[in-house]
Amino acid sequence: MDFHFMIDSLPKLISVIPMTIYISVVSVIVGFALAAIIAIIREKKIKVLSQIFAVLVSFVRGTPILVQLYVIYYGLPQFLYYLQNQGVNVKPGSLPHLVIAISAYSLNAAANLSETIRSAYHSVDKDQYQAALSVGMTPSLSMRRIVIPQLIPNLIPNFSNFFLDLIKDTALVYNIGIIEIMAKSNIIASFGFKYLETYLDALLLYLVICFVFGKILSLTETYVTRRVFSGKTHSVIKKTPQVDETEAKVGGN
Amino acid sequence: MPLLTVNQLDKTVDNNHILKNIDFQISKGEVIVVIGPSGSGKTTFISNLNFLNNADKGEMNFRDKKIDLSSPKKDDVLWVRRHIAMVFQNYNLFKNKTALENITEGLIHGQGKSRDEANQIALEELKNVGLSEKKDAYPSQLSGGQKQRIGIARATALKPDIILFDEPTSALDPELVGTVVQDMDHLAQQGQTMIVVTHLMSFAKKVATKVLFFADGAILESGTPDQIFNHPKEKRTKEFLSAIAEDR
Repeated sequence: MDFHFMIDSLPKLISVIPMTIYISVVSVIVGFALAAIIAIIREKKIKVLSQIFAVLVSFVRGTPILVQLYVIYYGLPQFLYYLQNQGVNVKPGSLPHLVIAISAYSLNAAANLSETIRSAYHSVDKDQYQAALSVGMTPSLSMRRIVIPQLIPNLIPNFSNFFLDLIKDTALVYNIGIIEIMAKSNIIASFGFKYLETYLDALLLYLVICFVFGKILSLTETYVTRRVFSGKTHSVIKKTPQVDETEAKVGGN
Repeated sequence: MPLLTVNQLDKTVDNNHILKNIDFQISKGEVIVVIGPSGSGKTTFISNLNFLNNADKGEMNFRDKKIDLSSPKKDDVLWVRRHIAMVFQNYNLFKNKTALENITEGLIHGQGKSRDEANQIALEELKNVGLSEKKDAYPSQLSGGQKQRIGIARATALKPDIILFDEPTSALDPELVGTVVQDMDHLAQQGQTMIVVTHLMSFAKKVATKVLFFADGAILESGTPDQIFNHPKEKRTKEFLSAIAEDR
């Protein structure tokens, strides 16, 4: 075990962390936007589209991300060549690998997060929507003001799990030639065959990145839950006090 | 002249005939109490009156406006909901809003009132139900009785022509029922038109101008509280009244 090599390699690996974070963050943002659209289409049961997306979601969730990455890596340029042959002004040869990676991860995120959004939506009591309608709000206002704010706290835990998995899954993009933590580890390790040392460095960096994002998301979840259901933002540890029924009766009279 | 008339209201769900050609009418200031066994269609009936459920057939005439209950226009649905408020069995206060905001939401986003005006109305309503000090409390910080009284305040703040009550005391502990009934009693005395689905027979006897007995999706018998409670005609009504405990 060469600890000097481990320590010397660390700054080189740290220098490519932005790429790992960039792919993860951009993919999750694009994926979430698409996921929201898919979730709306499926919940509104829009004919044809709803069925198409149901199959697509099931397909993406049932296949490995690495295979999806390869399919898009080889398939997207071919699709662009097809469009070019049809007279569309596209340049398949100049498609950056980063675009391919982000496309694959966004598609994966869209499928998985659409289910996360749907499950968060179903966790909100249907009566809340009906009560909003009953006071004269339009369906869209009822969603925006009552249902969506309540589904967000339920959405965050599953979103966090997915996002942390996504960060770890970006380790696969070295397969299509993008230099992020895993690719850089392979390059560094190949100098002197110090694989264990470099992969331990990579392990440590993924752990730190996931810990930081996990903590941020966990604090966000607590903050948002308190903000939505009790209006309190100053403390994220103290629990909301529950009122005793008999005491409340006295107070209420 | 009736304020609201419903003709031939009919609804079937999965081959289950829930409402069978119901004819109904209510005039201004009336308090109609709907009683009947569970599953007889009482809640579905009043949910249809402000379109939280869709009927298969039927027509509504409300404030001289005819509305098809099976395929109402969106504008008509909104218009009716802004004039017929509802109080729910499980309170259904907005969990992400304070007591005050629960009342102002409908005023601002349903009726288009300014925030200042809505706040003023909401504070007055909270005062009427004795919960002014709870204006900033969220539903999770309130007891069942307090929630239901805010539910009533939310409905009355809209100054509706009719308030629908769907078993407003069923989810409450017995010792909390009194305050909610008191509020409803008070509303009735003020001349508020109300349709109340309840199992509280003492409330029906005291406040109702008319009692409807529902069974198997139809109004089996209707009449004054005296007619229904003291001289019921139908065997089914007699069985129901003898089976239920007084004011459970």
